[in-house]
Amino acid sequence: MRHLITIRSLEVEHIQELLDLGADFKERVIANKNVPKIANRVLGLLFFENSTRTRVSFEQAAYYLGIKTANFSSHGSSMSKGETLKDTILTLRHERLNGLVMRHQMSGAPHLAARFFGGPVVNAGDGQHEHPTQALGDAMTILERKGSLQGLRVAIVGDVKHSRVARSNAWLLNKMGAEVRFVGPRNLIPINTANLPGEVFYDLQAGIQDADVVMCLRLQKERMSDGLLSSSSEYAAMYQVNRDTLKWASPDCMVMHPGPLNRGIEVDDVVADGAHSAINNQVENGVFVRMAALYWVFNELEIPEKPAKPVAKKGVKVGR
Amino acid sequence: MSILLKNGRILDPSQGMDMVGNVLIEFDQIISVGPEVATDEIEEIYDCTGLWITPGLVDPHVHLREPGDSHKETIVSGTQAAAAGGYTTICCMPNTNPPLDTPALIDFILDRSASPEAGGVFVAPVGALTVGMAGERISDLAAMKKAGIVAASDEAFPIQDANVMSQAMEFCVQLDLPIMAHCENLALSSGGSMNEGAMSAMLGLKGIPRTAEEIAVMRNCILALHTGCRLHVMRVSSWGAVEMIRQAKYLGAPVTCEVCPMHFSFTEDSVKEFDTLFKITPPLRTRADIEMIYEGLSDGTIDCIASDHSPHASHEVDVPFEEAPFGSVGLETTVAATLTMLTHKGILTPLETVRKLSTMPAEILRLEAGTLRPGETPVAQVTVIDPNVEWTFDRNKTFSKSKNTPFHGMAFKGKPVLTFNGGEIYRDAFFEQNRYQMVR
Repeated sequence: MRHLITIRSLEVEHIQELLDLGADFKERVIANKNVPKIANRVLGLLFFENSTRTRVSFEQAAYYLGIKTANFSSHGSSMSKGETLKDTILTLRHERLNGLVMRHQMSGAPHLAARFFGGPVVNAGDGQHEHPTQALGDAMTILERKGSLQGLRVAIVGDVKHSRVARSNAWLLNKMGAEVRFVGPRNLIPINTANLPGEVFYDLQAGIQDADVVMCLRLQKERMSDGLLSSSSEYAAMYQVNRDTLKWASPDCMVMHPGPLNRGIEVDDVVADGAHSAINNQVENGVFVRMAALYWVFNELEIPEKPAKPVAKKGVKVGR
Repeated sequence: MSILLKNGRILDPSQGMDMVGNVLIEFDQIISVGPEVATDEIEEIYDCTGLWITPGLVDPHVHLREPGDSHKETIVSGTQAAAAGGYTTICCMPNTNPPLDTPALIDFILDRSASPEAGGVFVAPVGALTVGMAGERISDLAAMKKAGIVAASDEAFPIQDANVMSQAMEFCVQLDLPIMAHCENLALSSGGSMNEGAMSAMLGLKGIPRTAEEIAVMRNCILALHTGCRLHVMRVSSWGAVEMIRQAKYLGAPVTCEVCPMHFSFTEDSVKEFDTLFKITPPLRTRADIEMIYEGLSDGTIDCIASDHSPHASHEVDVPFEEAPFGSVGLETTVAATLTMLTHKGILTPLETVRKLSTMPAEILRLEAGTLRPGETPVAQVTVIDPNVEWTFDRNKTFSKSKNTPFHGMAFKGKPVLTFNGGEIYRDAFFEQNRYQMVR
C-alpha cells in the first residue's frame, strides 16, 4: 500500500512519477478531456488544523477524479469529546473509508494514522514536519518555467525552523538535483541542520545571490510573541524579497510563496504581483499534483497512456 | 532452615569482595559469606557455579503510580516487576495523584508494599519536596521523614524558583534528607519533546535544548555547595551535565547522580519516524553524550544506575509524538541493559557494575542495603545474576502492567535469575532446575 506522508522517504522515481502525473492531469483537465475517474472510493478529508486553501485544493482534485469526499473536522466531532486520534482513525477505517487526507497540527500525526487506518494516507501538512503536496505543486511550477530542476539554485527564505513547506521542498529539490539554500535569521533556522538537505545563509544577499528560484516562507505572528524576533519591520528590513533585493538573484529568477501572503513583510507588492512571481501558478498546480497524489496512492499505477481512455474499473477492489 | 548459595562469584563492593565462594542464609539472615561454610544443617542448595552472587540490588528511581494512576502500574505489580528485575529495595517517586506530600500517603505506600500479594521488595518512598509538587511551599518533610521517606523530590515538576530550592535545601540539611532533583529549566524546555538537534530539525519537533538540563544541574549544584544539602541529580543525559557534576564534586559539593539505561543505550536517532517509545525526559541525546556518560561511569562522576521505571498505558503511548508522555518501563531490563551495554563492553568491571546497581544507591540514600555483610541489612538481601545468559526480552512476559519499552525484542547478555529478600522472592526460568536441590 502506498502512502504519501513525507517527501523525505520518497524515491526519486516516485517523485518523477507524481510530477509527470500532475502535468498530465493538468493537460487533460484544461482540455476537459479524458480525465481518468476513480470510482467507488470515498476519501476522508481530516483537517485537524484550520486550512481553507489546501482543503479546497484537495476537494477540487477529488472532484476532477470523481472521488467522493467525506469531511471531518475536529470541532464538534468525537475528538472534542476526548476521543484519541487512534480511535478516530479506527472508526473511519471501520466506516470503510478508502483513503485519508490529513492535516494535523502535530508533526508525525499522519504516521500514526497510517499505522492504524489500513488504507492510503496522504499528508496535507503535519505540524512543522512536512507538506508533501505543496512541494510537489511547487516543483511542478518550477518545471513549467525552468524545464528542469537539475542544478537550479533555490533559496528558501524565512522561518525555516517552523516550516513544513521548507522541509518538503528542500527534500524534493535536493533529491531532484537542485541546490538548496536556507536563508533566514539565526532564530528561525534550526540550530543543527545536519539532517536537512541544504546550506544555511544568515544573510539575504549571500543567500539569494544568483538564485534561480526564491521561495519566501510565511512569517507567523507568533514568532514575535514567542520572543524569536524583534519585530516584523525588522524582519522585513533584513529579509524581505522586494524590487531591490531581488536584483541579487538571477535576472530570470522566479519568486514563490506558499501563501497566505503577508504583503509588505516577506515580499512586497511589486514582486508578489510582478513578472517574476509564480504564486498563482503554485495555487493552480496544487490541484493537479493533489490529483496526482490521490491517483498515485489509490491506483498504484504508472502514468496512464495518452490519449487515455476512461480508466477501466473492472475488477477494481476497494483500496484495502 | 538454612539456604546455601554455592560456588558463585561473590561480588560485594561494600567490602571490595570479588571471589568464588558461598553465601549461607539462615532463617532470613545472611550468616556467612566466604570460601568455606561451616554448617551441616543445610536444607536448600542453590548451585551458583558460573553466576554472580551480589547484594540485593537497589533502584533509586521507580514510579509505582499509586495512588491515582493504577491503570499504569500498582504497588503490587511494580514490586513484582522489581523482584523479577533483581531488586530488593526500590525508591518510589512522589509524582502520583495526589502527590506523596503527607505522612498518611507515605503510610499507605508502606502498607501496600508490605502486603502479601506484593513482590516482597522493600519500598523506600520519596516524598514531595513542595506541597502538591507545585514548587511553592515546602511540604511537611519532618513528619514524612518520621513516616519513612528516604529523600525528597519534586520529580518531573522541578522547582524553578531558586529561592524556593535554596530554602528547601536548608530545611533538608536540618532533616538530613537528600534531595533528588530532576534538573530542567522549564523556560528553555517548554513545549519540547525531544533533543534539540539534527533529528528534531528534520522531524519538525520542538527541541529540548541541552542548556535546559545543564543550567538546572549547575544551579542545583551551586545551591548544594553553599547550603551543604545532599543533592542527587536524577537521570543525567547530556555531556555538559556530567561535566558540571564533575566540577561540583571537585569543589566539594555533596552531589551524586544517576544515569538510566535509555541514556546509554540509545541516541536521538532512535526516534526515527516519531516512535513515542523513545520519548523520555531528559531526551535521548547523541553519541558524544553517551561517550561522556561512559567516562562519567568509569571515573565515578556518575554514581549509580537507576531504572527510571515509568509505566504508561498503551492508549497513552499510541498518540502523536508531542502528545505522548515521557518515560518507559525499566525495572525488568535495567540489569540486562547495564550488563549488555556497559559490563560486557568493558565500560564497567563486574564489581563496579554491582556497586552502581546496589551499594552506591544504598549509600546515597542511607539505606540498610547494598551489602552482604551479615547483620548490616534487616534481612538477607541477595541477588544472583547470570552474567552470560543470552536471551531476548519480550515485554509481554513481564510483571509490569505497562509495556512501554523500546527494549522489546532486544538481545541481551546477562540477567538476574534469583532474588532473595529474607527468603526467595523471585526465581527465573533461566535458573536451571537442576541447580536447585532440597537436601531434606
